[in-house]
Amino acid sequence: MSTAEITPPPKATPPKATPPKATPPKATPPKATPPKATPPKATPPEKIEPPVPAFEKSYIDQITNKFTDDVEVGYIKENRTRINVKKEKIIDVAKFIKDNTPFDHAESVTGVDFPEDKEIGLIYHLGSYTDSTYSKQVLALATRVPREENPNPGNDSTKLPSLRDMFYSVEFHEREIFEMLGVYFEGHPDNRRLLLPEDWADLPPLRKDFKNKGR
Amino acid sequence: MSVIAPKFRLGYFLKAIFDNAFWILTLVTLAGIPAIQIALFFAPLPVIDGQLLTAFLAFTWLFNPTMQIPLIKALLYSDLFRIAAFPGFGFAALIAAGTIFVERKMLAKLQLRVGPFYCGKIEGILQLAGDGLKLISKEIIIPAKADKPLFWAAPVLFVGTAAAFVALIPVAPGGWVVADLDVGLLAVFAVIGFFPIITILSAWSANSKYPFIGGIRALHQMVSFEIPLILSLLGVVILTGTLNLSEIVESQSSFPWIIFMPIGAIVFFTTMLAELERIPFDLPEAESEIVAGWLTEFSGMMYGLVQLGSYLKLYAFAALFVIIFLGGWTGPVFWPPLDTELITEGIPIPNYMGDPILTVATPGLPLFDKDPNEWVMQEQGGLVYTSGQLLISGVIWFVLKTVGVIFFILLPRGVFPRIRLDMLLTLGWYKLIGLSFVNIFIALGLVYAGVIGPGGIL
Amino acid sequence: MAEQVIPTNQMPPGLQVENVDDRIMTLNVGPQHPGSGHMRIIVKIDGDYIVDADPDPGYVHRGEEKMAESRNYITNIPHLERPVIHDSCNILYPYVLGVEELVGIEVSERAKYVRVIAAELNRCIYIQYWLAIYGIFLGHSTMFMWPAGDRELLIDLMEKITGARVTHAYFIPGGVRNDIPANFEDVCLRQVNYFEKRIKEYADIFYDNPILKARTEDTGVLSREDAIRLGTTGSVLRASGVDYDLRIKEPYDVYDELDVHTNVLKSGDSYARSKIPWLDMLESCNIIRQALEKMPKSGSIRTKLKPNPKGQIGEVYRRVESGRGSAGCHIISDGKIEPYRLKLSVSSFRNLIALPYLLKGEKLGNMPAVYWSLNYWPVEADR
Repeated sequence: MSTAEITPPPKATPPKATPPKATPPKATPPKATPPKATPPKATPPEKIEPPVPAFEKSYIDQITNKFTDDVEVGYIKENRTRINVKKEKIIDVAKFIKDNTPFDHAESVTGVDFPEDKEIGLIYHLGSYTDSTYSKQVLALATRVPREENPNPGNDSTKLPSLRDMFYSVEFHEREIFEMLGVYFEGHPDNRRLLLPEDWADLPPLRKDFKNKGR
Repeated sequence: MSVIAPKFRLGYFLKAIFDNAFWILTLVTLAGIPAIQIALFFAPLPVIDGQLLTAFLAFTWLFNPTMQIPLIKALLYSDLFRIAAFPGFGFAALIAAGTIFVERKMLAKLQLRVGPFYCGKIEGILQLAGDGLKLISKEIIIPAKADKPLFWAAPVLFVGTAAAFVALIPVAPGGWVVADLDVGLLAVFAVIGFFPIITILSAWSANSKYPFIGGIRALHQMVSFEIPLILSLLGVVILTGTLNLSEIVESQSSFPWIIFMPIGAIVFFTTMLAELERIPFDLPEAESEIVAGWLTEFSGMMYGLVQLGSYLKLYAFAALFVIIFLGGWTGPVFWPPLDTELITEGIPIPNYMGDPILTVATPGLPLFDKDPNEWVMQEQGGLVYTSGQLLISGVIWFVLKTVGVIFFILLPRGVFPRIRLDMLLTLGWYKLIGLSFVNIFIALGLVYAGVIGPGGIL
Repeated sequence: MAEQVIPTNQMPPGLQVENVDDRIMTLNVGPQHPGSGHMRIIVKIDGDYIVDADPDPGYVHRGEEKMAESRNYITNIPHLERPVIHDSCNILYPYVLGVEELVGIEVSERAKYVRVIAAELNRCIYIQYWLAIYGIFLGHSTMFMWPAGDRELLIDLMEKITGARVTHAYFIPGGVRNDIPANFEDVCLRQVNYFEKRIKEYADIFYDNPILKARTEDTGVLSREDAIRLGTTGSVLRASGVDYDLRIKEPYDVYDELDVHTNVLKSGDSYARSKIPWLDMLESCNIIRQALEKMPKSGSIRTKLKPNPKGQIGEVYRRVESGRGSAGCHIISDGKIEPYRLKLSVSSFRNLIALPYLLKGEKLGNMPAVYWSLNYWPVEADR
C-alpha cells in the first residue's frame, strides 16, 4: 500500500509522532448522488469541487476556532464531517463538543490499523438525538495512536485516554477496540475482553499482521 | 434398533426357548407357588353364602353359573379392587392419562397447531404410551454430590402422597371411597400440607443452584397458598356441619354449594392452580429463568413418576372441587325407574331347561347391586332406584363434572404468561385470605339467619 | 467471612473469582440456558435482587469485520448478512448504500421500491421472531406460537421473491439481484392485509393481558436522559420518549416519498419497549401497501457493474433503520477491490450498555422481561 490511504499523507514529511494529517481540500471525495430523490445524473462532475456545505461548516468552524493548532478538518461533506485531533487533546476537544454543540452521544467507534505509518487510527462517530436540526449530522472525531511491532496490550505505548466520562456510550466499544487492536484506554474502569474467548493468546485480531487463515 | 436378530439359527432359537421354559418352570415351582400360598394365608378371604372363599373354591365356582356373579361381586367389593382399580389408582391414572392427552391437543388447537399426530392411528392417541416407554428407557443420572437416599425417595414420596390424596375422594354413592374417614376434609388438608416438604427435600438434595432456587420458590408458593385453600373450604364446612366428604356430597342433593359460596369457589380454584404449579403459577418450573426449577436434575423414570404424581394431584384437586362445590355425584339419574316388583322380586333367569336358577335385581346390572336379600332402594325425587342404577349414574355425573373442572384448569395455560414471585406472594397472603374471610362471613351469616345449615329453611 | 472483592480489571482474563459469600450468589445465566439467547450474563443475586449483572457476549463471534477485509465488495454480501439472518436485507442495506456511494453507482427507481418492500418485510419477520422469543421468556407459550405462525406468511413472500426463507442475500450494489415475480403485487397485498388483521389481535391477548402488564410495567425504566446518554437506539429509544427514526430523519432510497410515522411512547419501561415493535409492524404494513401502489411498473432492477468494482479512496458512513434500531456501516477504502476496513455499527451492540445499567437493583424474576425487551439480538452484537 503506497500512497493510497484514507487521508492522503502530507506530501513531503515522513510520519512523525502524531501530527494530524493535513488534508488538502483537493482530496477526491467519493462521488455520491445526494440521498434525496433527485433524478440520477448520468456522469458525476469531473473537476468541479462541490461547494462546502454551510451548515456543517458552521459547527466545524466552532471547533476549529477554539482549538486552532491541534484540530484539523478531515473533510466536510453533506451530513458527514470529520476532524482529526492529536491524541493529547482528544479529551479537551471531546469535552468541548459535548458541552457546546448538540452532539450528545457516540454512535460507534472504529479502530483502523495503519502498519506503514506505525499508527492506529481511532474514529468516533458522534450523533445528536436532542436537536432535530442536527439529526442527520454525524461528526467523525479521529485521532491516532502510536503502534508497536510486538504489542503488549495494556503495557506499551498504545494508550489513549478514554472518552467514557463524556460519552458514556463508548464503554463497550472501547473494550472491543482494546481486545481487537490492543489500544489501552486510560480511565476506562474495565479494560477486559468482550467478544474474544478468554484464552486468546495471539495478536489482537484486527491488526494487519494477523492474517486470515487461508487468505 | 438396527440389528435385532443378526443371524437366525434354528438350533440357537430352540435352545433359547428351552432355556426360558426351564427357568420359568423352576422359578414358579420353587418360589412362585409357595409365595402365593403364604400370601393367601394372610389375605382376608370373603365369605359368600356361608362358605369361606379359598382360592380353590373360587376357581371351582368360576365354572358354576349360579355362583359366578356372587363371586365376582365379592371381588368387586374387596379392598384390593377399591385401591387398585376403582375409585383408586386405576381410575385416577386413567383420568390423568386422558388429561395429559387432552391438554396437549387442546393447547395445540388454541395455538394454531396440531399437537400429537403421528403416534397412533387416530390423532396421536398412543403418544402417551410412547412417552412413557421413552422415559423408562432413559438413563437416570444422579448428580455427584447429591444426597442419594433423599434424591431417590423424593419422586416415590411424591407419587405416594398424591395417591394418598386420591384415596380420600369419594366417587359414587354407597361408600365408594378407598379411605372412608369421618374427618375426611382434615385428612385432605394434612396430605396437601405434605407436598411442600417433598418439594423442598427433592430440591435441596439435588445439590445444584437451579433446583435450589426452584425449590425455594415452590416452598413460597405452596405455603402461601395453603391458608387460603383451607379457609375457602371452611365456608362449606360451616354450612354442612360435617367434615366427611361423602356427607358433604349428600347434603347437596338439591342444590350445589357454589350457588351460595361463589367467592369461596373462586378462591379455591385459584389456590388449586397454585398448588398444582400450573400456569400462571408455574414459578417453580419457570423454564426461562431457572431451567426447570426443582425438576432440573430428575431424568428418566424419576421425571415420569413426578409427572404422574402431578397429574394424579390434578385429578384429585378437581375431584375435590366437584365434591365440595359442584355436588359430587348428584344429578338427575339417567336410568328410567323400574317397577317395584321387578326390584323387590327380581327377574328370574332360567337355565337351558327352563328352571329359574337365579334372580337378578336389575336387568343388566347384577354386579353393582348389593346382596339380593337386602335390596337397597333409594328415593330420589319420588322415584325408586336401585343402588346399582344410582352407582352408574353417579359415576357418570362425577366424571362429567370433573372433566369440566379439569378443562377450566387446563385453559389458562394458553392464555397467561407466568406470574412473578412478589405478585404471587401478595396474592396469596393479602388478597386471597381477605376474600376467603369474606366467604366465611357469608357462610356464618347464612347459618345464623337460619337459611341453611342444621335446622335451616333449606 | 472476609469480604474481599477483587476488582474486575485485575482478574486474569475470563476467570471469575467468586468469593464465598453467605448472601450473594453468582449465577451463570449462560449460553446453555433457555432464558439467555446466545450470550452469557453473570448475575450476582442477593436473595431475589440482582446486585450486579455482567454481560459476556462473544459466543457467536465470527470475525465478520476481519473477514471482510480479504473479500471483495460483492463476495462480502453473503457474509455480512449473517449477523441477523432474518433481517438480512436491513443489515445489508447500509453496506450496499455505502458501496454505491464509494464506487459511484446509480440505482433505478424500481429497484429502490423493491428494496424498500423487501426491507419492510424483513423488519416484520424479525419483529415477529423477537416477539415469539419474548413469549418464551415470559412463560407464555401462545405468545410463542402465534407470532411464529403468522411469520410464515411473510417468509413465504420472501421466498417468492428471493428463493430463500432467511439469509436472502438479495441486495447488491446497484439494485437487487432479481426481479419480483409477475403477480407478486396481488399476492403480497393479500398476504399483508391478512397479516395485519392477525397482528391486530395481539392487542387483546398479549398487550391487554393483566399478568403480562403486571410483569413488564414499571420494570427496567429507562429515562429519556439516560436513553440519550447511553446512546441507545431503535425501539429502546422510542419507548423512552425520543422521536428518532432514521427513515424520517435521514431518508434513504424512497422513504421520503412514502408516508412514515414514528411510534413514540413515553414511559420507558419494558412494557413500552415490548409494544413499540408491534406498532412498528403495523406501520410497516402501511408502508408496504404504499410502496406497492407507487412502484413504477417497469424499470431496470439492477445496474450493470464492471466485475470487481474498485472503491474510490475515502470513507463512507451510512445508516439505516433496521428492525432493532439504527444499523450503520463504516467503510474505509483505499482504492482496491477489497475494503480496507469495514465496521458494522449494529444496534444490538449499542443497546448492550443498557443491560447492566438496568438490571442493577431489579428482581431476578424481571430479568428475562427486561433483558429481551432491549431488542437485543446476540448474534448481531457479536458480528
